[in-house]
Amino acid sequence: MRLLAKGVAALAAVALLAGCGASASTTSNDSGKTTVTWWTINQSSPSADAQIDKIITDFEATNPDIKIERTSRAVDAHKDALRTAIGTSAAPDIYNYWAGPGLGGELVKANASADLTEYYKQYNWQDRFTGAALNPVTQYGGYQGVPWKLNGEALYYNKALFAKAGITKLPTTIDELNDAAAKLKAAGITPIEFGGTVNWHVMRLLDTFLEGYCGSAKFDQLVTKKANWGQEDCVTKSFTNLATWSKDYLNPGFIGINNDESSALFYNGKAAMALEGDWFNKNISDQKVNMDDFGVFPLPTGTGRLYGFEEAEYITKDSPHKDAAAKFLDYLTSTKVQQEVLGTFATQSVNKAVTPKSGGNALSTSWDSIFKNAKGLYMNNDQNLSQSSTTEYWRIQNLVATGGMDPNQAGAEFQKFLDSNN
Amino acid sequence: MTKLTATRLSETPGLNPRPSRKKPLLKKPLLKRIAKGGFVAALPFLAPALAAYVVFVIGPMFSAVRLSLYKWSGFTTDQQVFVGFQNYVRLFTKDPVFWTAVQNSIIWVLLSLVIPTSLGLMMALALNRPVFGRNVFRSVFYIPGVLAPIAIANMWRWMYNPNYGIFSDISKTLHLGDGSGVTFLSDPKVAIYAVFAAFVWQVAGLNMVLFLAGLQSVSKELVESAKLDGANAWQVFRNVTLPALRPTVVVVLVLTIVNSIKVFDLVVGMTGGGPAQKSQVLALWSYTQSFLNHDFGLGNATATVLLLITLVLVIPYMIWSTKGNED
Repeated sequence: MRLLAKGVAALAAVALLAGCGASASTTSNDSGKTTVTWWTINQSSPSADAQIDKIITDFEATNPDIKIERTSRAVDAHKDALRTAIGTSAAPDIYNYWAGPGLGGELVKANASADLTEYYKQYNWQDRFTGAALNPVTQYGGYQGVPWKLNGEALYYNKALFAKAGITKLPTTIDELNDAAAKLKAAGITPIEFGGTVNWHVMRLLDTFLEGYCGSAKFDQLVTKKANWGQEDCVTKSFTNLATWSKDYLNPGFIGINNDESSALFYNGKAAMALEGDWFNKNISDQKVNMDDFGVFPLPTGTGRLYGFEEAEYITKDSPHKDAAAKFLDYLTSTKVQQEVLGTFATQSVNKAVTPKSGGNALSTSWDSIFKNAKGLYMNNDQNLSQSSTTEYWRIQNLVATGGMDPNQAGAEFQKFLDSNN
Repeated sequence: MTKLTATRLSETPGLNPRPSRKKPLLKKPLLKRIAKGGFVAALPFLAPALAAYVVFVIGPMFSAVRLSLYKWSGFTTDQQVFVGFQNYVRLFTKDPVFWTAVQNSIIWVLLSLVIPTSLGLMMALALNRPVFGRNVFRSVFYIPGVLAPIAIANMWRWMYNPNYGIFSDISKTLHLGDGSGVTFLSDPKVAIYAVFAAFVWQVAGLNMVLFLAGLQSVSKELVESAKLDGANAWQVFRNVTLPALRPTVVVVLVLTIVNSIKVFDLVVGMTGGGPAQKSQVLALWSYTQSFLNHDFGLGNATATVLLLITLVLVIPYMIWSTKGNED
């Protein structure tokens, strides 16, 4: 019995300690500081990571009563962690997430995010952000999240390889892009590099074909289930073009390698193009290569819309530190900070008072022009579609890309899934 | 030459290769048998482990079965809605990946029962002899078994890399092309087997250790006796070594089935179930449905199917094994 009693006492002690540990992350610590937990996605470059650390250090120096505790994870790990933590005491005070309906929207629907209307009034945030940046955080009613960065995606290219292949004019339509790829291949150059392990990089190419062949209106109808994927010729044409590109123009074995590995082909001059976002400027400069060797041009869909997405910072609904969290977000999106980090996370700021950097490199200048000339935005389809639809979209995309499905069947196959999951 | 037969061996005192199939002497009521077996006395000692088992194994198992009857996104903030067997109907009739995952899981189990077990046995037989460097070889073959599966996945992913991998380099060295044809993980028809190769590398050494331990229980006298009777190497193995290894074989087979049907880490690390879900397996598809697709009902229905398959495969072995021990 004595042994049993000791065992019970030990279990009780463990339970007590575990309880203390669990509550420590959500309450102010012993030194009187309020600890704000912030979950972010891993940054795409070491310099971007260092920049985030600097922001935190600077904020804590001017706000000694607040400590920011950042936890950074890979994309899928970040999604998983949020799923398991939201609604529990382990949830962070602030989480970084994509603002599209398929991702951020699902968390808003699950009551994960707090409506920040009172903080928008308190800090006058309505007047801080651009209209384009505010749209994604106001689409669910109220103010869900604070815009952090708006990224555009376009085609980066190697100038020397384009010249070698005899490409003198940058493509402005999908057909011209097809011609350019054919010329590159004929010159013995891999036209474009992709890593396929996480699916969303190759998806950018398919999204581009859909926007290009279907046009803006039909693209929007497709992703909102107002048009039938199985009955649109432009869908079949897009999948057919994807099959051609996968077979003839992408780096061999792209499906089995990750994007970091495939990006090396672009940096080393072994592939002529990369379909990346404006954050890629930083990735290129981190490689210590000559930035002037590379250029960037808008995806030649012919619609004039910019391809991209927004990331926002959300305060969790149950956060006990909303005031401190909002104070930090006010600092993070302030003109001073946004001006300092311009070019690190995105080439354009969500803060409308931020001015483009003077004397920037040619890539940054090109991006200024791409954003300026854009006639609206179309988002990546993993932002538009629900998670389960995205998984199926990727499955069909990869089947077509690896020759496992007739492109003529692809649209109908996807529609079948959408119908069965309604 | 006298031919050694199983009959003669079974006549050797104390060396019957097949355990007797005696029935229990008395069929007493369960409670009496429990009391007589000292179960009550053992209960205080078993209780902590039993409590942990109930909380961490049985509880989640029932929870998974229960959730398979609900529609739920996985957020505690979201309401669970009872839908009966709807998730199972969806899984069996509408899920585009489920049957691929079932097929791959079955292929994986069948191959696991043949390849890594045979390799493990062969390595054990080879290294059970007094050969030069025996301990070094044993260690070398065993090391992959103690590495984290995700580390093994990374290592093999690099080996398969069509640009920088060792197979690509070998292909270039042998002038079989520029290496770009080495696309094991990109080929939907080959990917699952490419991942399985890494699994074989990981577990063959573990099987070897189990078989080596089993081989220590094989009577040297009996082997000598068989040889004196004129048995050749194959006959000694077939009629002496293998019957004595029977309990070890059962353990290896059961562990192999359990480990192969729940395979997860290697597939996640090497292909993520791709390309196009063609290397998907049940455990990973259950995880994908729950944590990536936000469909905990479907994910837990998949997990329940996996549980049932595992039980169907493992329970007969366990009963057979337990009966052997009781006899």
